[in-house]
Amino acid sequence: MKSIAANILGSVADAEDAVQETFLKVYRGASGFRGGASPTTWIYRILVNTCYDQIRRRTRRAEAPLPTKVALASSGESDHPLRLALEAELRRLPASERAAFLLCEVEGFTHREAAEILDVPEATSRTFLFRARRRLQESLRATGAFAPAEASS
Amino acid sequence: MKSGCRDLEKALRGDAPELRTAFEEHAASCPACARELAEWAQISAAGPALKKRWASPELWPAIRQQLAEQSQRPRVSRAGFFSRALPGFAIASLFVLASAGLWVFRNSRGREPLTSSWQTTKDPLLTERAVDEVEAAEKQYLDSIDKLSKLAEPRLASATSPVMLNYREKLALLDSAIADLKSGIEENRFNTHLRRELLAMYREKQQTLQNLMKEVPS
Repeated sequence: MKSIAANILGSVADAEDAVQETFLKVYRGASGFRGGASPTTWIYRILVNTCYDQIRRRTRRAEAPLPTKVALASSGESDHPLRLALEAELRRLPASERAAFLLCEVEGFTHREAAEILDVPEATSRTFLFRARRRLQESLRATGAFAPAEASS
Repeated sequence: MKSGCRDLEKALRGDAPELRTAFEEHAASCPACARELAEWAQISAAGPALKKRWASPELWPAIRQQLAEQSQRPRVSRAGFFSRALPGFAIASLFVLASAGLWVFRNSRGREPLTSSWQTTKDPLLTERAVDEVEAAEKQYLDSIDKLSKLAEPRLASATSPVMLNYREKLALLDSAIADLKSGIEENRFNTHLRRELLAMYREKQQTLQNLMKEVPS
């Protein structure tokens, strides 16, 4: 949960705030959960919405824009150039596409689960992911982030 | 199935696995499509490396504290009686947050009835006989949980999916809540509230294990 919040919000402190807020919302809303989705995807949906609420609040307060680089330990072995570029480009994606990419490609959720979390039909979730990859591909190609050997293979 | 450059978008969308296979065959002899696939693959391969991990030693205590405060609010008039049970409340709440298990607790159709003497008593402390009955109910849950745990253990040990990791995390939280409540009960085995919370924890753990077994059949 912290991971997806950090990727959406771009900071450790904000991610922890979002997780904390999510748990409180789950607590307050537990009796309203009627089993339309699995508890896990229901909680993640609240988390994703909480993160976007935070961003909206931040925008309304006209605070500094989202940081483009986050000082976090990632699970990757090193700061691979492609990973760094991907992280930066991800922040430029529309919210729905970024969320679909984070859920499926980073967190490993299936399309069905991602669709439940995003509260959209599965086909829409697939479209979000497709568009996200497409935009990322175009941006990364423009910045020359792809490995040349693999790109030409 | 034959495929060509025109199928690029459909193949990349991944709606039809057979089309993807046919497109890969086409790409083997088409440098432009091969490049598209390679770049696509690089993005997918780099995705998991964006997962963030960091230690948050203060996060869970902060959540626990907030939950304790939340659960305390509606009980202001009875604070004297419940004050000793607050740590149990906090942990119980924590598990509810982690799992939305409160919903299951409140709405469980298969809920086992508690003894009528316990359910209707207005006395905050249990009688000796009621304690025996509650302990018998606890034992039934424990037996069931033991059996389910043995079956679930191999599935949890090899868990890699986020859903399974969530199950593992939830079970760990439940175990922590159970241990905390048991330690409170050791101090006063007649405390109705702690007993009730403990049974709720057992019920939730049993339900969680059953859900896990359904989610990942052997």
